[in-house]
Amino acid sequence: MRQVGGAHRGLDLWLVQRVSAVYMALFLPVFWFCRAGTGYTGWHALFLGLPMKAAAALFVAALLLHAWIGLREILIDYVHPLAWRLPLYFLFALAYAGCLVWAVDILWKVQ
Amino acid sequence: MRFRIYRYDPESIGKPRMQDYEIEFDPQGKKVLDALIALKDGLDESLTFRRSCREGVCGSDGVNVNGRNVLACVTPLEGLKQPIEIRPLPRLPVIRDLIVDMAQFYQHYRAVKPYLINLEPEPESERLQSPEERAELDGLWECILCGCCTTSCPSFWWNPERFLGPAALLQGYRFIADSRDQASGERLDFLEDPYRLFRCHGIMNCVEVCPKGLNPTQAIGKIKTLLVKRAL
Ligand code: SF4
Ligand code: SF4
Ligand code: FES
Repeated sequence: MRQVGGAHRGLDLWLVQRVSAVYMALFLPVFWFCRAGTGYTGWHALFLGLPMKAAAALFVAALLLHAWIGLREILIDYVHPLAWRLPLYFLFALAYAGCLVWAVDILWKVQ
Repeated sequence: MRFRIYRYDPESIGKPRMQDYEIEFDPQGKKVLDALIALKDGLDESLTFRRSCREGVCGSDGVNVNGRNVLACVTPLEGLKQPIEIRPLPRLPVIRDLIVDMAQFYQHYRAVKPYLINLEPEPESERLQSPEERAELDGLWECILCGCCTTSCPSFWWNPERFLGPAALLQGYRFIADSRDQASGERLDFLEDPYRLFRCHGIMNCVEVCPKGLNPTQAIGKIKTLLVKRAL
């Protein structure tokens, strides 16, 4: 039987969006719980260890991925001409990648 | 009772317009379809709408009443704010007055192959199912293809040619869930697509309006779960 399959895309991104949401939902309460004092020393101590740095960087990555996939959905819904949609995908991907680099830079500057 | 009804005559050059009607009509125990028939009989025989069974079985009189997609024949007049505004189902081409062209809707329905695919030799009498297997189909087979759900879905409004819509997806799942069907793999292949399936964002307008009380969002969720299971 000849079958016309789908594009076999969409599932991965959909899954990544769910997984990133789960990670954010897990990270936030843990972060809330861990943050010791409110002053500079408290925050400094919190972000000194590598595990917290990594977890926070992962959180930013999850947030940006989640946002980009959501944005992609909105663009597919509303922006139909490919000539507009593709540049917008890349523009936002670039901007979000920039945010990630920036966040990692900030985190690793804590010495 | 006062009504405002969408009128469009393809033979005149005029634009679609809303026409006001006023008629003596006792709404007690009566449905929107009864009023439409009374209007056509008593006031304006040019008023055009589809109906057949007039008891919520055939699915032919889906219309938009006061902003909500309903079957005219099972929607009570009592409690509706007047003037009662009746329009054709949204986002489908209007043929005349309240009659829409359902071609796109049926095309999506056909695309999910809404029939059993089983290449084994046919048994003497019938293909048996256990009561549990049969129960899987409840909430799926009852669909009367009225189109109320699909035409209320914003994702369908934005991408009507490519997003299958809740009705077709519900029927797609109806055959995936059928223990006698052997093509669930191909069916899932067909659905794994950013447009056909993944335009659904779980807005749940479809669940909200289905006159049969069905839940397309849940069926769509089950398709996604099967896709994930298959991928992992
Ligand atoms: S799922 Fe409900 S609203 Fe949608 S076509 Fe079927 S009966 Fe109509
Ligand atoms: S749940 Fe999905 S199919 Fe139903 S109305 Fe929302 S987007 Fe459309
Ligand atoms: S006339 Fe058949 S469903 Fe309303």
